[in-house]
Amino acid sequence: MKGALFLGWRYLAHHRFKTAVLLASVTLMMFLPAATRLLVADSAKALTARAETTPLLIGARGSQLELVLNALYFHAERPPEVSHQLLDEVQKTGLATAIPLNTRFRTRGAPIVGTNLDYFKFRQLMLSDGRMMGLLGECVIGANVARSQQVGVGDYLVSSPETVFDLAGVYPLKMNIVGVLESSGSADDDAVFVDVRTTWVIQGLGHGHQDLEDAGASKAVLSRKEGAITANASLVQYNEITTENVREFHFHGDTSGFPLTAVIAVPPDDKNSTLLRGRFQEGTLSGQLVIPASVLGDLLETVFTVQNYIILGLVMLSLATIAVIILVFLLSQQLRRGEFFTLKRMGASRGFIAVLVASELGFVFLGSLVMAALLTWGARSYATQFLLSLMTL
Amino acid sequence: MRNILVILIVTLLIACTEKEPGGQGPVTAQNKPMVVTSNCPLYFFSSEIAGDLVDVRFPSIEGDPAMWVPGGDEAIMLQSADLLILNGAGYESWLSFTTLSGENIVDTTANVQSMLLPIENTTVHQHGPQGKHSHQGTAFTTWLDPELAIEQSRSILQAVTQLKPDQAELFKTNFDQLEKRLRQLDQSLAQSFAKLAAQPVVFSHPVYQYLQHRYQINGRSLHWEPGIEPGTRDWIELGKLLQAHPAKLMVWEETPLDSTRGRLTEMGVQSVVFNPAANPGKPTDYFEMMNKNTDQITAPK
Repeated sequence: MKGALFLGWRYLAHHRFKTAVLLASVTLMMFLPAATRLLVADSAKALTARAETTPLLIGARGSQLELVLNALYFHAERPPEVSHQLLDEVQKTGLATAIPLNTRFRTRGAPIVGTNLDYFKFRQLMLSDGRMMGLLGECVIGANVARSQQVGVGDYLVSSPETVFDLAGVYPLKMNIVGVLESSGSADDDAVFVDVRTTWVIQGLGHGHQDLEDAGASKAVLSRKEGAITANASLVQYNEITTENVREFHFHGDTSGFPLTAVIAVPPDDKNSTLLRGRFQEGTLSGQLVIPASVLGDLLETVFTVQNYIILGLVMLSLATIAVIILVFLLSQQLRRGEFFTLKRMGASRGFIAVLVASELGFVFLGSLVMAALLTWGARSYATQFLLSLMTL
Repeated sequence: MRNILVILIVTLLIACTEKEPGGQGPVTAQNKPMVVTSNCPLYFFSSEIAGDLVDVRFPSIEGDPAMWVPGGDEAIMLQSADLLILNGAGYESWLSFTTLSGENIVDTTANVQSMLLPIENTTVHQHGPQGKHSHQGTAFTTWLDPELAIEQSRSILQAVTQLKPDQAELFKTNFDQLEKRLRQLDQSLAQSFAKLAAQPVVFSHPVYQYLQHRYQINGRSLHWEPGIEPGTRDWIELGKLLQAHPAKLMVWEETPLDSTRGRLTEMGVQSVVFNPAANPGKPTDYFEMMNKNTDQITAPK
């Protein structure tokens, strides 16, 4: 018995190329359907986990999926906007805590998320260093941002202009980093958090400049008449908010009309949730209200359908591979008739030869099983995040 | 001798490690809810109502709390407070650039919006295509009107009662006493300002709107600082004002410079101090401060 196993092993070792081809074919045959199913299941779990902890989302009318993916993963380039007034209206209903989100801007590729302190409480985000943003222009960064960009408390980030050719557009804002968040294993690790009003400053809706009533700003004054001062283009505007100039920052117009990309609504219970949904359905409140888990459920349903087709194709491919492998073995038996005849002459029984052939097959399948398992483990460890980023782009 | 020494040492050790009777130390500030106020009068009202049951704090602010810019440590304190008691009426201009959670904020003038007075004569300016705008608002030294101070204290009462409902009765009793004292102050102020009759008065700074409104004071405001020597333009402005409004009394937030006071006396204008007590530098008894102010008000000779 041992001799048959030894001869089988030596046969495979001697015919390296043939063995390698067989191992690769069987490994892929096992790995592809299993990995596809597991990766999709893992991605779905990761996607729905964040969606399930976000009870309700409010945003502009349009694509529900875009609203959910942008509010949960901050990936949209130019998300549609709602006014801050909508947040006030939701808050006034008393049915839910409303958390603002403004995710239009980026810094060094990372999304700038304008929100308030309730967001950190809601997502249970903890600081690993520093403190929460306290003043306009201060930011708190995610763990991955700190690691990848080699920045921390005391450093600064500059907001990216929306278009490089917009020379007359909004000046980039230098934001001081006052805190770094602990890793949460979510999209929050890759974001830069600021007060929602800081995003309005980035957008140019608020700004800071010299006090026009101050004698030092006289050169910047174009005209003064009847209590109205008009400034010229030389008026110094600040591109960094400090404790010295923060008082000079102000917003023009009614801030209730200022933009948000989404509002997270956190009702205390199901009853309040239903009542709030009713307000949107009957049109008392404008915009659209969605349940993120439900929207992502629809997306995942499509993904699972596609996955089933892919797996069906892979199973058919596997069957074809098995047929080819059987054919290779049968042909190989024909070629090895002389070898088996010699073994018989040396006293080997028919059983011995059967064990020899079976062991060769067994070694190939065992080796393939181990390799497929290792590949699946590797794929689950590294590819889930990649797949998630593809799905939420 | 040796045994006696051992017994003595053991007895001393036991005595040193023995717990205090009852096993509980004094109640520390850590056990109490933290309430942060935005000026001294609110600190005083909150302390009077909540007593020792709440850790009432007023940040260490240099100068006028209305012009405060919180630093990092102060931002942490404001964010971690169980209650943030604000004056409202646009007083806390730092709210526009400070990140806070809305849950713990108490605007003590939110329920008396109709009693608030607008600030007039603000400058409109324009730069760029955004259009003309100004930085006007509402007069905010509301605590100078005892009637408004009572309403503000009532808001504090509601907030601390929600914070510690089991102490509602005690808080109400404290509030009733505070209300009684504020009504007495109201009478006292009314009597003092009655001495002025309708005589014209000049205020060094536009912070006395509520006092003026409540006690029907015939006053006009300048923008003079007690610690800064007025310039030629300021004196010309005052001269013009006195022609139309022949005041013999000028009310200051703090004692003016001797030179300013002397020149005003030469012009026949007597200087008195009525400190709004927003931040007298250290925690001060509101009534003590107001009584001191009241004593200063006399009809000009």
